[in-house]
Amino acid sequence: MRRQVPLLALAALSVGGCVQTQQYADLQFAPPQGDYKLLVLRPDIQVGAVTTGGLVEARADWTEQARANVIAALRAQQAGRGGQTLILDRRDSLAAVPAEQVAELERLNAAVDQSIALHKYSGVSLPTKRRRGLDYTLGSDAVRFGQRTGYDYALFLHAEDSFASQGRVALQVLGIAGCFIGFCAPNVGGAGQFAYASLVDLRTGEVVWFNVLQAGSQVAGLKMGDLRTPDGAAQMVERLLGLMKPGREVRRAQAAQRARP
Amino acid sequence: MRVRRHALLAGISLALAACSGGPNGLGGFAYYSLVRPNRVVAVGNGAMAVVSPREWNRASRSSFTDIGTVEDWTLNGPYLDSISFVSGLANDKRIIHQERKADRQVPRFRATMTPPEIASLLESLYRIEGGAIEWRTLNLAPRPFLGAAGFQYDYEHLDSDELWRKGRAVGAVIDGRLYLIQFDAARSHYYAAALPDFEAMVVSARRR
Amino acid sequence: MTSLSRRTMLAGAGATALFGGTAASARIDPASLTPMVGPGYRPQDPDERGMWQQMARVEEEIAGSNLLVQDPALNRYLQGLVGKVGGPATSDLRVYLARVPEFNAMMFPTGFAVVFTGLLLRMRDEAQLAGVLAHESSHFLLKHQLRQWRDTRRKTDIYSFASMLGGVVGGAAGYYTGNLDQLAQLGTILTLLRYNRQLEAEADALGIKLIAQAGYAPLSMAETWQQLIGEIELSAAVRRKRPDRGYSIFADHPAPRDRMIDLTASATGLTVPGRRYDRGRERYLAAIAAIRPTLLDDQVKLNDAGASQYVIQTLAQDGWNGLLRFYEGESLRLRNTPDYDARAALSYAAAVAYPDAPADAWRWHGIALMKAGRRDESHAALQRYLALAPSAPDAPFVRQMLAS
Repeated sequence: MRRQVPLLALAALSVGGCVQTQQYADLQFAPPQGDYKLLVLRPDIQVGAVTTGGLVEARADWTEQARANVIAALRAQQAGRGGQTLILDRRDSLAAVPAEQVAELERLNAAVDQSIALHKYSGVSLPTKRRRGLDYTLGSDAVRFGQRTGYDYALFLHAEDSFASQGRVALQVLGIAGCFIGFCAPNVGGAGQFAYASLVDLRTGEVVWFNVLQAGSQVAGLKMGDLRTPDGAAQMVERLLGLMKPGREVRRAQAAQRARP
Repeated sequence: MRVRRHALLAGISLALAACSGGPNGLGGFAYYSLVRPNRVVAVGNGAMAVVSPREWNRASRSSFTDIGTVEDWTLNGPYLDSISFVSGLANDKRIIHQERKADRQVPRFRATMTPPEIASLLESLYRIEGGAIEWRTLNLAPRPFLGAAGFQYDYEHLDSDELWRKGRAVGAVIDGRLYLIQFDAARSHYYAAALPDFEAMVVSARRR
Repeated sequence: MTSLSRRTMLAGAGATALFGGTAASARIDPASLTPMVGPGYRPQDPDERGMWQQMARVEEEIAGSNLLVQDPALNRYLQGLVGKVGGPATSDLRVYLARVPEFNAMMFPTGFAVVFTGLLLRMRDEAQLAGVLAHESSHFLLKHQLRQWRDTRRKTDIYSFASMLGGVVGGAAGYYTGNLDQLAQLGTILTLLRYNRQLEAEADALGIKLIAQAGYAPLSMAETWQQLIGEIELSAAVRRKRPDRGYSIFADHPAPRDRMIDLTASATGLTVPGRRYDRGRERYLAAIAAIRPTLLDDQVKLNDAGASQYVIQTLAQDGWNGLLRFYEGESLRLRNTPDYDARAALSYAAAVAYPDAPADAWRWHGIALMKAGRRDESHAALQRYLALAPSAPDAPFVRQMLAS
């Protein structure tokens, strides 16, 4: 009866920098537009330095800068689409909903996000969900949450970023050199960005959109979208949330519309 | 029946494999296969069959944890829901694979077990292998199953990922063997969403 | 079956200490240590500030976890106790009680500790618990997390090729929601909590000094380690293997036996002859009374037979009661053989003779009697169960047993 899910540890052996996103949407998903209210639940943003040994050392000043930048970029981006955004920093800062209910929603969302990660991104796919887009829900608890708070959408966001210290730069050069003689240095901890976001429609409870962003700079010294700068943060937010594709059925309907004379 | 949920989202960073030029994730390794609805499906070692009202996903049996009489299905993945079938587990056999010298051992099934002891076995299974921190029995009552005098066990548990899950097991010991169908799902939404499927399967269950 | 009685084990351990182990030379004199952290301490350097900020997020997650035991009186009690033995920073320390049936407690670098319920189960009195809290506080008072982090960073810089082959070290630490157990395993945090031998020895030395100053018996810390050793050994003996557990506390800390020996030696130096030391047993039992059945239940249901047996017998040194006899029966029943069934039946029968026997003891006493073919006695026991717990969730099933 063991539910042993075969998650293989695939070491990223690449030596080139690359940026990648992969998004999934509910078939009926239309990106929020116009007059909508978005609640961002306790965004988790961290910036650290990668030491020579590959440990990520948390940096308070960098994290604070990055957090402020990401939140500002997110507000600006959503306002551009007509959305009103509330960033919820603590579970107890909503007047209409007690902290424990916020917590319950976060916990269910965490299990749903893990399921999406496992069955949509890690290749352990579920046959019943093939070709059905993003087919996950937080159920009626999320709908009740939306009714109490008056928000249309909830966004869960996590972003992390790390930078190579000087010692690591030297070592990576050695590591890359080693590749030619049969030894490759895996990207330990990684000087790179990793972020994911999931969007829940609080009117239906459905997880309507999910995206993962990986901007890996395995070659030390090559920086991609530094969250510590406003531009870098805006770039990350745009990469993660800017290009929301509608769901397949919505895209088909739009295509049919365009094809009509 | 759920084992420790160790998959972290960090796994995603490994799975977005385009940076290393490979295909997505595990490259189509089919861990789950499709269960077709409204037809008789043999489960476990084939000694029991059920009819499912809709499509489910059947987990392939791992060669590491080969317990022939046990089979797991899921709709949304094992973090959210699952149904396990036990198709005639023999006396003194395990319901889950464990290291022989594991400190914490899920008791073996014994033919002389009464329903309270089987309920206790399931509780140990979830506490030892499923990360259950808190366990509440909601109901233990007689219920016919496969034409025999069986039982229905309802329970809920708080797991180490802070999520409450709820479950129901319907089973019977027939000719010294354990037959059981067990449903376990996130208490919020997912339990209620698949309980009718479970009930339909229990009613449809036949020995073969 | 196992001939390892607790007494032979303690005699062996005591003898080692008495004749002076080889570890004696490495022992740190409690008098040589003084706290580096005073009231209202704030982080100093960039790495320490980063660590504090990260830990603030961790603490927020822990404080909001539904795995914490909510009992306000018990939490006040723990807070009060750390206030007695936490040294100069007592007013800054926070304690969270998590429902995890493991023998463990951990101090985070910002001055909050997480104590697992499995620890409370195993403490025989307040003095033993005070020792653990003082040890954990000492990690904070001596800034161990920071020192360990700097040490690890220096070492991994040197040996980074080895660590690179070791796989993903950091970077995965971003996802904190839930699972305290998992939390402690996450990259950077794990590194922070994994102290070396030297730091553990320091925390023991300062800890024992703190409890001695607070008037607790200095020997109580060594007793805790004796109990842990006894439990590990009996657990292993029942499974017929060597006592070696590759997880958490045992892997990261120096061998319990060395620590026990050093603590015994330090206790000898700190104990004032003729003085009466406080053990606080009644206070302790009153504080945990409401959750003690849960603590026993959580341990016994894990079916680590030797560990459960050792824990129950250790607690019973202060006197058997219906609760302990019942859980002795549960532990024996889960061993799941006809011989142990018979022994479990004896424990249930003994349990129901005590006025404090839980209702569940009557149920299992009744089931054991029924399986032994003693129908009338079984029915009487099950009826007693239903009388004590008329709305028990399994009452429908028990009524059917009575009808058949």
